[in-house]
Order: sequence, then structure tokens, then C-alpha cells
Amino acid sequence: MTTTPSPASTATKASEALAVSTAAVELAEVVKRFEDVTAVERLDLRVPDGEFFSLLGPSGCGKTTTLRMIAGLEIPTEGSVRIFGEEMGLRPPNRRPVNTVFQSYALFPHMTVEQNIAFGLQMRRTAADETRRRVAEVIELVRLGGMERRKPQQLSGGQQQRVALGRALVNQPKVLLLDEPLGALDLKLRQAMQLELKELQERVGVTFVYVTHDQEEALTMSDRIGVMDAGRLLQVGTPEEIYEHPRTRMVADFIGQTNFLAAVAQGQGEARLADGRTVNVPPGSTSGVAITLALRPEKLSVVPAGEPSPSGANQLVGVVERRVYLGSSLTYEVALEGVTLRVRQENTPSVAQCREGDRVGIRWDPASTTVLEE
Amino acid sequence: MASTVSTPPTGTPASGEAVDPALERAAERAAARRGALLALPGFVYLGLFFAVPLAIVFVYSFATRSSTGRTILGEWSLRSYGRLFDPLVGGIAWRSLWIAALATAICLLVGYPFAYFIATRSPRVRGLLLVGVMIPFWSNFLVRTYAWRLLLGSDGPLSQLTDLAGLGPSRLLFTPTAVLIGLVYGFLPFMVLPLYAAIERMDFGLVEAARDLYASGWKAFRHVTWPLSRPGVVAGSILVFIPSLGAYVTPEILGGSRTTMLGSFIVRQFLSARDWPFGSSLSFVVMAVMLLATMVYFRVGGKTL
Ligand SMILES: Nc1ncnc2c1ncn2[C@@H]1O[C@H](COP(=O)(O)OP(=O)(O)O)[C@@H](O)[C@H]1O
Ligand SMILES: [Mg+2]
Repeated sequence: MTTTPSPASTATKASEALAVSTAAVELAEVVKRFEDVTAVERLDLRVPDGEFFSLLGPSGCGKTTTLRMIAGLEIPTEGSVRIFGEEMGLRPPNRRPVNTVFQSYALFPHMTVEQNIAFGLQMRRTAADETRRRVAEVIELVRLGGMERRKPQQLSGGQQQRVALGRALVNQPKVLLLDEPLGALDLKLRQAMQLELKELQERVGVTFVYVTHDQEEALTMSDRIGVMDAGRLLQVGTPEEIYEHPRTRMVADFIGQTNFLAAVAQGQGEARLADGRTVNVPPGSTSGVAITLALRPEKLSVVPAGEPSPSGANQLVGVVERRVYLGSSLTYEVALEGVTLRVRQENTPSVAQCREGDRVGIRWDPASTTVLEE
Repeated sequence: MASTVSTPPTGTPASGEAVDPALERAAERAAARRGALLALPGFVYLGLFFAVPLAIVFVYSFATRSSTGRTILGEWSLRSYGRLFDPLVGGIAWRSLWIAALATAICLLVGYPFAYFIATRSPRVRGLLLVGVMIPFWSNFLVRTYAWRLLLGSDGPLSQLTDLAGLGPSRLLFTPTAVLIGLVYGFLPFMVLPLYAAIERMDFGLVEAARDLYASGWKAFRHVTWPLSRPGVVAGSILVFIPSLGAYVTPEILGGSRTTMLGSFIVRQFLSARDWPFGSSLSFVVMAVMLLATMVYFRVGGKTL
């Protein structure tokens, strides 16, 4: 360009540059193809420094591939990967400021816990006394005291997981990549480790890019979640945004349970169901457009069939087909004309229970409806 | 039965495994007997054709040789062991040792990258390459070694080539180099196969982990791939070194009279020199040294695994 930029545009450039440099990880239009499969399709993503970001999606949707492209273990077919503003290009993994906790841990079987953890520091020629000090610190941090001399095969799954974590954290990476790190652990341990990991991330302040296919795990731990399917990033948002306002049917279906009702928008915040009945919905859809109403089971309640509905609330009548007792809650599957709705009720004395075969009303607040236009 | 499936969670955890200990021991003994029975043919074979001849060799090594070359059993002496300190024996042993060591080193140097290459191909290509490695076994070793004699001979193709290049005819045949070429050629598959097995078994995710932890390609190899493939290196080296040290056919055909190695020397004691006690003591000592070296090598190689 030959024209000198105006002061205003320089200012915006500067602020843009600042905004770019604060992103710990930035993927722009990243595509990854293996011979005949496209694993990742035009992915755009910014993860700010210090965030706990989760990539959530079903198995095979491209999560691992995305993580590997950040680590440098795969090179994108198209697009760019930036880490703290720096273009990574073809840079090999050993020259990127990130470390990975691998899905199967990939601990070196011929090295002790201590040697595994010290590996990264030794590769970077850290002084021996500093290496010793930092390894000791990390062993303390991941609570592996007394295990220093053991080989990985002599550890339990949870301990191996912590070695993998320590081996990455000891390098004080700017970004830690974790690929389903808790996938191999049993439920109790997994839940304990979820809290522990979250707490650790807050304490250390490292940016986490966390891959999981477990929606509960993602909701529990993340600052923000990116939901992936078939190589595409469908929606990015806080756990609450993702859960309360899913933008597509796939997101609504994958995160938690959802009832879907096909309808046609009527304007003025109304929609007509397939059986001809009209329900209230949040306004916004053009009249005549086919929409899908997404309703969370816990937002619905079961009431006696004859009970009049308060003004504004939606109420449909159906028959209880199945009653599933879950301890702290109950799930009813209620058959309406054409569809079956799943309703979750708290198991508390104030909520009346019903039996299979009962005719009941299903009631919900229109505001808790998510309208999907697809 | 349904009742076995829905065991109530209140029972003691070990209740399902509570078996009468005497019964358990009896079952174990029966299993051990069956195992011994199946191994019996192997034991008989090795006993008849390995242990017994070895004992005979051991006994003969203490016998004496009459002036006509007859072996006299009954006049026991250590004379044949004393002859081992003859400088002639030392020279031959030394030559055998360094040729065998060099052959092993070359096999490792050539075989490792090759085995690594095979192990990292797709399963189909892998199978083809492995068959390729084993194809030489399908023809006679003697014939193949004679082929080398033609190739290395003073009017063979190699010699013609160097002559054309202005270097004059090569005189490789009947030199230690020719023996070395023959040994490497003959024993390379024994290096490649165990190396391949070790590398193929390795989890390449570990190399990626090393790269992720700031190791360059070379360092990842040195600290991860190499130590994890060491069982293959140890096995392959032993499989090449030991037959090279005792080689008979190759030095006999390619080495001529100037490159006598231990194998030929021992054979000569039994055939032309007709000194069976000396041949026996030589065989026995060589075997003992090899056994000892193998054990030490396994120890050292296995220690870091
Ligand atoms: N090295 C590879 N070669 C060929 N296809 C691959 C390779 N790695 C991954 N894929 C394919 O890419 C897709 C995404 O895989 P992956 O990223 O591992 O998914 P996830 O981690 O979400 O389960 C899958 O269809 C998988 O088969
Ligand atoms: Mg994966």
C-alpha cells in the first residue's frame, strides 16, 4: 500500500494486534484431510490466555486431530495455527510452547516416574539442580510423593494419569493440551480428578485446551465449551449458554437430554404443533416457518390431567407410558399424539408422583423453550 | 442360571473364589504334569543330540593323541588345554573375534534402519518386505556363498568394474574383507528379524510424546526408540555374532588359507591333523566363552529395560 494510514485506522490496527496477541491459541480456517477423510473442516477458534476451554463432541468428530494440529503432531492441510500470536506453520512439536497430556498417557515405560517428569527439562538442557527442584515441586503438586522410583507399569491408572500431567506441567507450558485425560478412569476417580484438575488449572493459570466426549465433564470444568460434530465447530459458549441456548439440534441433543417437537411458527409468539394445537413460544420466528421446539426434561412438569393451566403456561395432555426411578429424581415418558415427551421430576415430598397408564397434563413455561430454525 | 448373574452385592467379595485349597493345588499339579508331558519330545531330542555329544566332546578333550593320530582314552591329561596358549591359536582366535564383531556391527548398522523402515510401513508392504528378507533362506547357503566367490573373484564383475574405473582389478577374494562381506550377507536376516519384531512392537505414540517434550527427532530416537528396541538389538547381535565367530563355510570358501577362522581350525584338528583331544578342548573353550559373553551381554542389555 502506498497511502499512509489515517491515525484512526492505525489505532484500530494496534488494538486488533493487541487482541490477537492475547489469544493463547488461535485457529483460522483450519482444514485437515487424511487421504479420503476430512477430519477437520474450516475450523475457527480463539482461546484467550488463562481459559479452561473444552472441545466436546462424539467420538471421531475430529477433537484429537484439532489438538494434534495445535501441538504440531499434525500439520493442517489448510489454514493457520497461532500460539500467542505467533504463526506456527511447519514448526515441529519440540519448538512449540505447548505440552500435551495424551489420551493413553504415553508414559515412557523404561523410565521411572521421576525420569518421566524430568524428560522435558532435560531435553531443554535445564541445569541439574533446577531440574531436581522443579521435578520435586511437580511431584508434590500432583501428589506422587514416594512414587519417584517406580516405573509406570507399577502405578494405578489414576497415578499414571498424574505422572502424565506432571510431565507436561513441569515445563511450565503456556498452553496445556489434554486429550480425554480422564477417559480411562472409573467414575468416582474421574469425578474427583475433574475437580482437582479444575482447581489446579486455576492455581497454575495455564490455558487448558481440554478434549472430551463427556458432556458432564465439559460442563463441570470449562470456562467455555466448543461443541464439535463431523469435523465442524457447531457452537462456542459458556456451559450455561451451551446448555440453555443450544443453536442447533445436534448441540441440544448432545448436551443433556432434550425433547424435540416439530411445529410451525404462527407469529406473535405462538406455534402450531403437528396435531394442530397451539403453544406459546418465545417470539422471533417468522410466521409460517417450520421450527423445532427443544424442551429439556427438567423444565417440564407433570400435573393431574384436569388441573387448569395458569395463564401463559403451556399444557398438553398425555398418558404415562413409562416411569423410571432414578433415586434423586424420576423420569416419565409421556405419550402425546404422535410424540413421546420425557419429563424429569425431583423426588421430593412436594411433588406428586404418578403411575404408568395415568392420564396427565404436561406443563412448561414458554420462556424455557428453545426454538431451532433449521 | 439367572441367580448367578444377579449376585447380591452384600456377599463377601472373595466368596466367588473360595475354592478348597487342596483341590486347587491338585489342579495345579495336574496342569504341570500335562506341561511336562508336552515338553518331553523336546527334552529327549536335546538330550540325545546335544547333551550327550557335548559330554563326549568334554571327555575327549582330556584324552591323549598317539603319534599315529589315534585318540587314546584312558590316558587322561590336560595337554590339549595347554596347547590353547599357542600363539597360532591366539592369532586365529583374535582374527575370528574381530571379524565376527565387525560383521555384527555392520549388520546392526545396515539392519537397524532397514528394520525400522519395514516396521513403519503399512501391514501389506510390511509382509512383502519380510518375505523379501527371508527369500535367501530358500536356496542353499553353500551355493549362495559360492556365488560370492564368482562375484568377488579376480575376473568377476566387481573386479571388472573397478578395472574399468581405472582402479585396477580388485583383489577381494581370499581376504578378511571377503569373509566379512560373506558373513554380513549370510547373517543380516538374523539381525533384521528380531530388530523388526522389537521396533514393530513399540508404541510410536511414545516418540510423539518425546517430540512434544522438546526432543528433536534425533534425541527422541536416542532416548525412546533406541532403548525400547534394545531387546531386538541384543537378540540380533547374539544371533549374528555367535554363528560368525564359529563360521566354517564362509571363511572356508571366501577366506582361503590366509584367513583361517576358529571354525575351520577346529575342523582341521578333527580331519587333517587328526588331533581329536585338541579339537575337543578348543570346541569346548570356545563354547564356554560364547556362553559367558552371551550371558554378560543379556545382563547389560536387559538391565535398562
Ligand atoms: N492418521 C489418520 N489417518 C487417517 N484418518 C485419520 C487419522 N487420524 C484421524 N483420522 C480420522 O479423522 C477423524 C477424526 O478423528 P479424531 O480426531 O481422532 O476424532 P476424535 O478425537 O474426536 O474421536 C476420524 O474419522 C478418524 O478416522
Ligand atoms: Mg480422540
